[in-house]
Amino acid sequence: MFLTRSEYDRGVSTFSPEGRLFQVEYSMEAIKLGSTAIGIATSEGVVLGVEKRVTSSLLESDSVEKIMEIDRHIGCAMSGLTADARSMIDHARVSSVTHDLHYNESIGVESLTQSVCDLALRFGEGASGEKRLMSRPFGVALLIAGVDENGPQLYHAEPSGTFYRYDAKAIGSGSEGAQAELQNEYHSSLTLKEAELLVLKILKQVMEEKLDSTNAQLASVTKEEGFKIYADSKTAEIIQELKESEIDED
Amino acid sequence: MNHDPFSWGRPSDETYGSYNNAIANAGNVSAFPKMNTQQPIITGTSVIAIKCKDGIIMAADNLGSYGSLARFDDIERLVEVGVNTVVGMSGDISDLQQVQRMLEQLEIDQSYEEETSALRAEHVHEYLSRVFYNRRSKMNPLWNACVVAGLSDDKPILRYVDLLGVTYESACVATGFGGHLAIPLLRQKCDFEAEYADISLDEAEKLVKECMKVLYYRDARALDKYSLCRIDNNAEKKVTITKDVRCEDMKWEFAQHIKGYGTQVV
Amino acid sequence: MAQTTVASEYSSEVHAEPIEHRFNPYSDNGGTILGIAGEDFAVLAGDTRQSEGYSIQSRSMSKVFDVGDNILMSANGFAADGDALVKAFQNQLKWYHFNHNKELSIHSAARLTQQLLYGKRFFPYYVHTILAGVDEEGKGAVYSFDPVGSYEREQCRAGGAAASLIMPFLDNQVNFKNQMDPSSNGTKKKELRYLSLQEVVNLVKDAFSSATERHINVGDALQIVIVTKDGARTEYHSLKKD
Repeated sequence: MFLTRSEYDRGVSTFSPEGRLFQVEYSMEAIKLGSTAIGIATSEGVVLGVEKRVTSSLLESDSVEKIMEIDRHIGCAMSGLTADARSMIDHARVSSVTHDLHYNESIGVESLTQSVCDLALRFGEGASGEKRLMSRPFGVALLIAGVDENGPQLYHAEPSGTFYRYDAKAIGSGSEGAQAELQNEYHSSLTLKEAELLVLKILKQVMEEKLDSTNAQLASVTKEEGFKIYADSKTAEIIQELKESEIDED
Repeated sequence: MNHDPFSWGRPSDETYGSYNNAIANAGNVSAFPKMNTQQPIITGTSVIAIKCKDGIIMAADNLGSYGSLARFDDIERLVEVGVNTVVGMSGDISDLQQVQRMLEQLEIDQSYEEETSALRAEHVHEYLSRVFYNRRSKMNPLWNACVVAGLSDDKPILRYVDLLGVTYESACVATGFGGHLAIPLLRQKCDFEAEYADISLDEAEKLVKECMKVLYYRDARALDKYSLCRIDNNAEKKVTITKDVRCEDMKWEFAQHIKGYGTQVV
Repeated sequence: MAQTTVASEYSSEVHAEPIEHRFNPYSDNGGTILGIAGEDFAVLAGDTRQSEGYSIQSRSMSKVFDVGDNILMSANGFAADGDALVKAFQNQLKWYHFNHNKELSIHSAARLTQQLLYGKRFFPYYVHTILAGVDEEGKGAVYSFDPVGSYEREQCRAGGAAASLIMPFLDNQVNFKNQMDPSSNGTKKKELRYLSLQEVVNLVKDAFSSATERHINVGDALQIVIVTKDGARTEYHSLKKD
């Protein structure tokens, strides 16, 4: 099967007459196929939550890594072709460490996000002679969570190289429903604890499988503790708490 | 198969024997090392300049020396740049002429950008200081010491830059021997920056002419024929360079006959 | 010697050309600088004489710069390298603002300066560098650097031609070295305390007028720049011109 949309489909950096870059648009479609990832920024810190697709009972769920540390004060969750995220995170870690080396301070969350997005456009040659690094755009989006002197922040970085800051954001296959739910539930005085519960509550709604500590993972970034991925036992506790609160409501 | 693509399509060594590189390097047979300027060849001696109330006076003689040989006697070492800047250069004459061409190019490039000349003395100086510093950092210096003189917002600008990229600004500037012989005389009139406002152009011109005379007396690489540049803020044409000025009223009698030189006082 | 006519990445040709160098890319332009940190201010001072050998090139060259973001910088030694370092720093600072949208703190400025200096480890900037400013807690800060970037935060530091004349004086007058508490009859060390701005400015003037007496490359005028959280201001005082 070969569904040709137009001949502007093939060159990664060729505009269509309508002014679109199809390959970049398709790369965003790839993210909609990915597992759901949610981030919520509160005044106490940022919470990240992802759905792990455990496709087989024989799959070791620990080996599915969708939340990663970039530095002590920054972490990220991903959705889409997660293999692509490796080079982005690699770049992000180098940027962060280099900034610390050059300036003896932690890199800002926005600066870090910007440096990742600079990489996203390297499927074409740069205007000032930069080499083409990749054959195609990234097929992955990141939720970058971090804390710096401006407090806790959450950014969404897309394959198109654009990024926006969000109070709360969902990406991946369940993003539409999840984002609508975030829209309803988010308020600026959320505590970290409430955000953890909210992330799991929404994940539960949008996931096909039944939510448990093997197919969901949480992480948080706070000023005091930095980036932490929650142990499965802790995730299980929060899931339990969520269940109890839902029973109470009923 | 030879895997070096650069030897593909060439006569093979097996058949024809190895290529004699001396043929391609015919102009360079002795495999002479790449050479940067390590010493000046034809040289020009001091440039001297002083700021005054309405402008600047600068002078440089016309001699091009080859070691101790007075080789050329008609070398122009004051270079006009734009409408109100003059660069005086001492040191290697070939480097001087290259800098002269760079300044011409700078002027041309700048004229594409703006119709009226916006190239001022401080810009010329900044440009030269970058050129000289970059060349010294490549261990391939331009062997000169330059004095940049000009007007900027009706104020006199007088700056220096040399082969090391060292720069400074002062009311009186001199390169080479001038630093030892002329600077003390110039500083008698103007020791500190603010004092230049008390000197008139004519006074300064007289002083500089006197310095050129002293330099001709005492610097064995100097000539009594020089170019004198007068930058006058009040004149119609701000910059005038007078060529072939001669040192006058010189005394070459024996010392005993010269008043104020030896024991002779009256 | 076998030579290839065209450069090729495959051949392992050796460029064995002997390169002869007689040109000395450095010189010493004299001058001296001094930085002292106070409780909520810092001063960075330098004389304005620039010399080469026994000749005074200029009596009025400032070498202490307010490079922006309330940071004072001076790189004393070989003047061309000093100017190049300050310009490189200012350029980097501009890019820091573009990239990170915030002020550069003094401790970050110190690290950046190290990076610039060490970047030329094998062709060093021939300068002694001092940075002065106010840190994130509002305390006066002075950082000093060697030519290849080793650095340290200190209460005070003299650099340049007369550093060895001024530094022992500072040890005694700022850090109270070899001073005893007068009431203890020589049994207790004099306790450290912050000096007031007036005390510091007086120390700086004394240090420079003394250095001017004893060092030929120091003199003409003294530039003192004082930095507080509210910005920098400059004072000039004359020194002997002989």
